[in-house]
Amino acid sequence: MQNTPHALKKGIGFGLKHVAYIAIAFIFVLPLWWAIVSSLRPNTEVFADIFPFTAKALIPSPFSLEAYQGVFDRGFGIIIANTMFVAIVTMIGGLIVNGMAGFAFAVFDFKGKNAILTLIIISFMLPFEAIALPLYTVTLQLGWLDNVAALIVPSVANGLAVFLFYQFFKEVPKDYLEAAKLDGANWFDVLVRIYVPLSIPTCISAGLLLFVFQWEAFLWPLLAMPSQQFKVIQVGMAAFQQQYQTIWNQLFAVSVITALIPIALLLPLQRYYVQGLASAGIKG
Amino acid sequence: MVRSKTPLFLLAVLLAPALVGLVVFRLYPIALAVSDSFFNMLRGNQVFVGLDNYVALFTDSAFWKSLQVTLWFNLLINPIQIALALGLALLYVQKFKGVPFYRVLFLIPIGVSLPTAVIIWRIMLSPDGLANGVLNIAGIPGQPWLTSESLALYSIIAIATWKGISYWMIFIIGGLQNISPEIYDAARIDGARAWQRLIFITIPLLRPTLLFVLVADVSINFLLFAPIFMITQGGPADSTNVLMYEAFKSGFIFGDMGRAMAIIVVVVAILLVIVGLQFRLLNGKPEKK
Repeated sequence: MQNTPHALKKGIGFGLKHVAYIAIAFIFVLPLWWAIVSSLRPNTEVFADIFPFTAKALIPSPFSLEAYQGVFDRGFGIIIANTMFVAIVTMIGGLIVNGMAGFAFAVFDFKGKNAILTLIIISFMLPFEAIALPLYTVTLQLGWLDNVAALIVPSVANGLAVFLFYQFFKEVPKDYLEAAKLDGANWFDVLVRIYVPLSIPTCISAGLLLFVFQWEAFLWPLLAMPSQQFKVIQVGMAAFQQQYQTIWNQLFAVSVITALIPIALLLPLQRYYVQGLASAGIKG
Repeated sequence: MVRSKTPLFLLAVLLAPALVGLVVFRLYPIALAVSDSFFNMLRGNQVFVGLDNYVALFTDSAFWKSLQVTLWFNLLINPIQIALALGLALLYVQKFKGVPFYRVLFLIPIGVSLPTAVIIWRIMLSPDGLANGVLNIAGIPGQPWLTSESLALYSIIAIATWKGISYWMIFIIGGLQNISPEIYDAARIDGARAWQRLIFITIPLLRPTLLFVLVADVSINFLLFAPIFMITQGGPADSTNVLMYEAFKSGFIFGDMGRAMAIIVVVVAILLVIVGLQFRLLNGKPEKK
């Protein structure tokens, strides 16, 4: 029976641990949860049950889908489609362009390679915001203002993605390459038949980074699309907020849609996303 | 390495798109910012004005106030974010029944973009919002979180921190997983307590990761824009008017691109100095690999 106090102590420790984790998780989940709940209420009921605060504030009652209806009536469907288009084209273009560069850096040896690689690493350490204003001038010079190309093309080449592919391809045993060369396969075959299939996990990591980058882009689309004929989601959402300050349930509905799409993508693939970021952090 | 015969043509085809993209859309804008900061627009013509934009900037009290806000903001937000991200990462890597569930919850803010977080928090922090409602239970009167000169900057710090720490946590988890468990086992046998293991083993071994996170976090927060644009527009009374917003205001509201570029150049220069200092002070022994 010597065991009992020890087991009890352990049990209390276990309980406290869960309480601490739940408290912290609560801080992360609460804003999003409240947003979901409020988006499912009529607008007049958003602030009900808060003064005085009751647990009822955290359940969607009375329940109503009018906010989502309203949001799509205001054209958010098109805005979502626009953003999807920008993000997916950037992702596909980015995987090809950065994957090729990563492959070249990993497989070939050439003059100035290390200097260029260092520059690439520096380029992804400098946030996009730093160059957004001068990039606006570049866009003017190219005549791309208010053109979708201004949203997509500057984001395709991505130093972090190049680096991820370089990291991965460097570890692929050179035997594969030698064997394929001996069999008389050309470089293109080697790249497509051997390296691409091997690199699927890296493609997922880099693809997620590119997709999320575009999905979350705010300052750049704000500057590059002054007439807002073609709206993407973060800017559309911010404009909506300024225009309809008090249609809270629709603001929440827009927020929930904007958040749930990347979350739905990231949760099942979180392993790849985490690996992509973490390996950049360690090696960079 | 396949050194014998590097097919130069192939190499060029593989590298060109990425390198051209990075040069045109990353390097060239930086050069352009520097050169544009020496010009002003006069009656639709670009006129070379030398250092005038900088001289005007350094004699402008609005600039100094904005610089002060930017530095104070960063002095607070970066240590807070990194300390909380480290704490969260330590919780994340624990192994016990139920942890995978919490891990998913810890990762949720990563999927929430900063503008989304801003919209949700702006309503949460509104006078009738959830934050004041919860405080009300404890008998604390409601606070004007976003409209008071003394609170707005700290509310923005809180929002950006809520959104940011899960992201930085990921990098720290990567670093933690690189520390071999045997070191901890040895320390445990020697009787080191949990806090001793944290201070004498975890943090020193995490130094490269923490340095990376610090540099990356400072870079992002130094250029933070969305929350200020969306909530306060620099106010109240310029209390949240960081340099990035001041530059945006100059260029896109007052049409003074020369001043905007000069501010961007100054911001990036300060950032480079800070990052350089961080590397010097925190990198310890120069390790070349």
